[in-house]
Amino acid sequence: MSKCLKLVAMLLCITGSVTAQEEVDTLLSDSYDFTFTESQLDDDNDAAQTVSTISSSNNDPYLGEVGYRFSPMRFKVRAYDNMYEQTYMNGLLLNDVETGRFQYSMIGGMNDATRSKEDVSGFEYNNFGLTPIGGGSNINTRASAFATGQKVTLSGTNRNYVLRGMYTYATGLTESGWAFAGTIGYRWAKEGVIKGTFYNSFSYLLSLEKRLGDNHSLSLVTFGSPTERAQQGASTEEAYWLANSHYYNPYWGYQNGKKRNSRVVHDFEPTAILTWDWKIDESKKLVTSAGAKYSMYSTSALGWNGDAYDPRPDYYKNLPSSIFDVYDLANRNNPEFLQDNPYFLSQYNDLYDFWTASEANRQINWDRMYYVNSVQNQNGDETLYYQERRHNNQLVFAFNSTFSHNIDINNKYTLGINLNHTTGMHYKTMDDLLGGNLYYDYDKFSANEYGKGSVANPTEAANDLRNPYKRINEGDKFGYDYNINVNKAKVWGVMQHTNGAFDIMPGFYLEGTTIERDGKMQNGRAPQNSYGSSGTAKFFGGGGKVLMNLRPFVGNTISLGLGWDTNAPLARNAFVAPRMQNNFVDNLQNEDIFSAELNWKFRFGNLTGKFTGFFTRFLNQVEQTAFYNDQENRFTYLTMTGISKEHQGVEGALVYQVNSKLSFNLIGTISDAKYIDNPYAQVNYEGMNSQTNEALNTWTNSVTGANMPLRVIMKDIKVGSTPLTAASLGVNYNVNNWFLELNLNYYDRVYVGYSAYRRLSNVLKNYTATGSVGGTPVFNIADETGRSSEQILAEDGGVLFDINGDYVDAYSPSLEKYKGGFMLDASIGKFIRLRNGRAISINLSFQNITNNTNLRTGGFEQNRDDLYSTGVARAYKFSKNSKYYYANAFNAFLNVNYRF
Amino acid sequence: MKKIFHIGALTLMMTGIALSACMDDHDAPDVSNYSITKETSVGDTTISIRNLKEKYESVFTQNNAFTMIEDDEIVEGVVVANDKGGNLYQTLMLAQYDATYDVVDPARGIVLAVKSTCLYPYFAYGQMVRVNLKGLYVGCYSKLPKIGQPYYTSSNNLRLGPMLFELCKTNIYLVGKPSDYINKIKPFEIKDDSHEMFHQTSYQNYKNAPMLVTVTGKFVLGDDETILAPDELKDAGMGVDRDFKIGNTTITVRTSTQNDVSFLKMPKGTVRLTGMLSFYDGWQLQLRSVDDMEIIKE
Repeated sequence: MSKCLKLVAMLLCITGSVTAQEEVDTLLSDSYDFTFTESQLDDDNDAAQTVSTISSSNNDPYLGEVGYRFSPMRFKVRAYDNMYEQTYMNGLLLNDVETGRFQYSMIGGMNDATRSKEDVSGFEYNNFGLTPIGGGSNINTRASAFATGQKVTLSGTNRNYVLRGMYTYATGLTESGWAFAGTIGYRWAKEGVIKGTFYNSFSYLLSLEKRLGDNHSLSLVTFGSPTERAQQGASTEEAYWLANSHYYNPYWGYQNGKKRNSRVVHDFEPTAILTWDWKIDESKKLVTSAGAKYSMYSTSALGWNGDAYDPRPDYYKNLPSSIFDVYDLANRNNPEFLQDNPYFLSQYNDLYDFWTASEANRQINWDRMYYVNSVQNQNGDETLYYQERRHNNQLVFAFNSTFSHNIDINNKYTLGINLNHTTGMHYKTMDDLLGGNLYYDYDKFSANEYGKGSVANPTEAANDLRNPYKRINEGDKFGYDYNINVNKAKVWGVMQHTNGAFDIMPGFYLEGTTIERDGKMQNGRAPQNSYGSSGTAKFFGGGGKVLMNLRPFVGNTISLGLGWDTNAPLARNAFVAPRMQNNFVDNLQNEDIFSAELNWKFRFGNLTGKFTGFFTRFLNQVEQTAFYNDQENRFTYLTMTGISKEHQGVEGALVYQVNSKLSFNLIGTISDAKYIDNPYAQVNYEGMNSQTNEALNTWTNSVTGANMPLRVIMKDIKVGSTPLTAASLGVNYNVNNWFLELNLNYYDRVYVGYSAYRRLSNVLKNYTATGSVGGTPVFNIADETGRSSEQILAEDGGVLFDINGDYVDAYSPSLEKYKGGFMLDASIGKFIRLRNGRAISINLSFQNITNNTNLRTGGFEQNRDDLYSTGVARAYKFSKNSKYYYANAFNAFLNVNYRF
Repeated sequence: MKKIFHIGALTLMMTGIALSACMDDHDAPDVSNYSITKETSVGDTTISIRNLKEKYESVFTQNNAFTMIEDDEIVEGVVVANDKGGNLYQTLMLAQYDATYDVVDPARGIVLAVKSTCLYPYFAYGQMVRVNLKGLYVGCYSKLPKIGQPYYTSSNNLRLGPMLFELCKTNIYLVGKPSDYINKIKPFEIKDDSHEMFHQTSYQNYKNAPMLVTVTGKFVLGDDETILAPDELKDAGMGVDRDFKIGNTTITVRTSTQNDVSFLKMPKGTVRLTGMLSFYDGWQLQLRSVDDMEIIKE
């Protein structure tokens, strides 16, 4: 990794010797350097934290601001997943076709190079693509688009990194028709604001352009951001309480007195894009881009043998509340019970004391793992603990071409074609044996079920029958190894017709997608369907949208947008258990989206604004969650199909310009985003024998004994990890090149991320009616807590059947809603214009000035229920112990630019 | 001026290069002296396993009873069974060392239960363990003498369960090395059912349980008995009971499912089994590992 960094840096050394020319930018464009969106560039491919929205719209006072203001709370516009917004560079679509998302980290540290862009909302006309409901951005990195000259940027902050430096150089378009621009950057933290994290990221972008005559231009841009960084993990409120901090990070521990993080990301996505711009004539333009990307993304994680004790410090058995049910005030957590059973409080206190006695006690115990492995070495036994590295690499070839024609002042259209071939390479390697000598490649959990080696069914535990029980050394592949091949082809068109006070912008597209898994290992649990090709699933989709604008009088525009999409499911959701086998998810089909929005954009004197009402319905969606299942002690895939969701709400923005120096603004949204049905479920427990797996996928009618399709009881469950209510009141003041900004932000109705596992119809309690009155089934639902049946169903969920075994109704367990709160942000900047076109800009921004450390940005429910298989309640309540992320505490960002 | 800034820019780059070295390099720690137990002695032994059982006879004679030890009471024993084979869960069997005869007495045992899996790297076979019982509990779990702490089982019964792993650091001290005692462990050999333990009820109690034994006999085979503990036969305790004949006497061989021992093929002929013997309403044997089954005759 570091060799790559150095090599790239050496190649870039040439950029420092060229002379500055002129300065054209202003502070307004410099503001991109210190907007809060910087935090989004650190988001993970695997999205430990929710990825917030970065796209905006140049023409929308609401969308233009939300990314900037609400990103500390991981705000997602309309609660849409990021796959519903697209990012292009020089006309080439950069979204990852496996996940649907654009990886912000691939342009991290290139703020100066990526500031020139066109942002559009979902229905807006543009020349680069038919953007989905979340809109899109087209970043222009052609060398001629850079501000000529040089620029040095230095930043200091107390966020994920503490120092940032960037240098940008651009020649502008020379008389010979050449233009060159380049930027390099470096972000670093020995330890970020979260303990145990570090940051080490270099970035570069080189852009070369040659104008060929008056009508042609060729542009080549290459960029990358090799990064090594340590992650933060979510934890339970109890762990945060014991650590006395909402920023407790369970991912690290001391090794030789130094902090070592178990989750270290390596990320480098070198990309090259060649663009041909052909100005056919004054009204016609053809932009063609071809690009390639080789993405290397991996993250490390602790691994352990099936029987070894879970090394995670916040593993529930390590927590005081695992001793007795602290939430049961009636029967357990009361003075009488604890006096009669003093050993419970004693053990609780022992664990409390252990957690609070020293920081090392609540972090990963690396020494213990090394010690255990050293004992295993002495006995000639296998390593019990290790660190693996999970790779998600990609080789992408993409091609986009768009033809734009402005027919006349009232009519224009754009036609385009997008092609993409992606090979996703997914495997894991042995990162560190933690002092161990021996590790053999077989599934340790399967070995417990099938036996290993000399006993029964020896082959089924093997991860690769072509190399069964292979000895694994550091750096070797093991566990799983497969490619996902995706091909996409899309043709699209959009036109705009203006007739006086009326515009109409219809658009359409047709899209074909193929998805294939190519297994590189023959898994012992799926010997017939793991190695080689899965066959190819083909999907044909398309859709259209139309935006109609009406300007009834000056300064007022009313718009109506309508859209319908039917798209292939994501490749990452298409396979039942992609690490192990080739099987596609049952009933895999296109996903449908209907969207509508009504806007009113206005200006009354000094008051401008926009209000929008929106409604989006998702149908036939597929979602897959992959997680370590504590209930079954194994990695689990849970796929939901036939999902229906509705997102609806209002959003608005008001700006009151008092005078040229002072303005007030108010933006906000109130929305709802929820599941409206109970989708089908398919669960695969990795390494489990097929009979048990089948049994766990069975939902049996307790009256008739019939098997029913497994479902996830999700109706009315909210989309989590984003505020559904958000508002911001801001004031801007500028005088004599001083810029002041103060924003008071309010967030509410953030829900925890749901666990589909806890809502499986065969995990929830099923109730049968005890009789009926007037044809209405009567249920006797009670438990020892004394709650009413309505309360029990509302809180714990359940499925109701009448006395004949016919389905009556289903209730999903309640989903936790976080408390809302305020966050106060401010920034102050000064622009100093020097002689000869030079300028310095300084900006100091503060986030969360009141140090509100109780704002939860996201989190997730644990994938385990509260009952033993015997039906007896566990002492530890997983349902009460979701894991949370909190918004950063008070932090500051100092940014200094010098342009010359 | 330009030169200054070019130098600055170059410096910035070079700084980036210099700092670009991997930040995730770590040297392996020296764990030769690592211990999860107390690094200094918990004190001199004050009571033997045998005397401990006698002293707290009132709880050891009950099925499921326990009492807290309030004072420094220090007992020691040699680990003669642990969880290495996966068949014993959170369980170490300690047996009393008899200095007079320089042997580990297989019939004077007690279970030390610790709340963790994979205890065997810390508590190796043959390791002398000294336990300060202060704050811990002694008693019986289904008549099996045990040191631990109370908990609620998955059947919602209050029982004597494992002690907190974290208490190893305060209450347990490792004496010497496993090699000091490993050759002094000799399981009690039972070749037939003539021994009084099978006939005299006075033997069938806490005093002789747990016991490290070797027994010789045959499994009672059914039609479909292919391995020792198939998952489909497991009971609520996640184990499978097999009848084992020693002469005309039947004992139970109890095996947890989903471990290497459970996959041992059911032998048709005579075998020698070694394991931890305990008594509830009959004698019950638990093998420690796959090596505890020796085929005498196919």
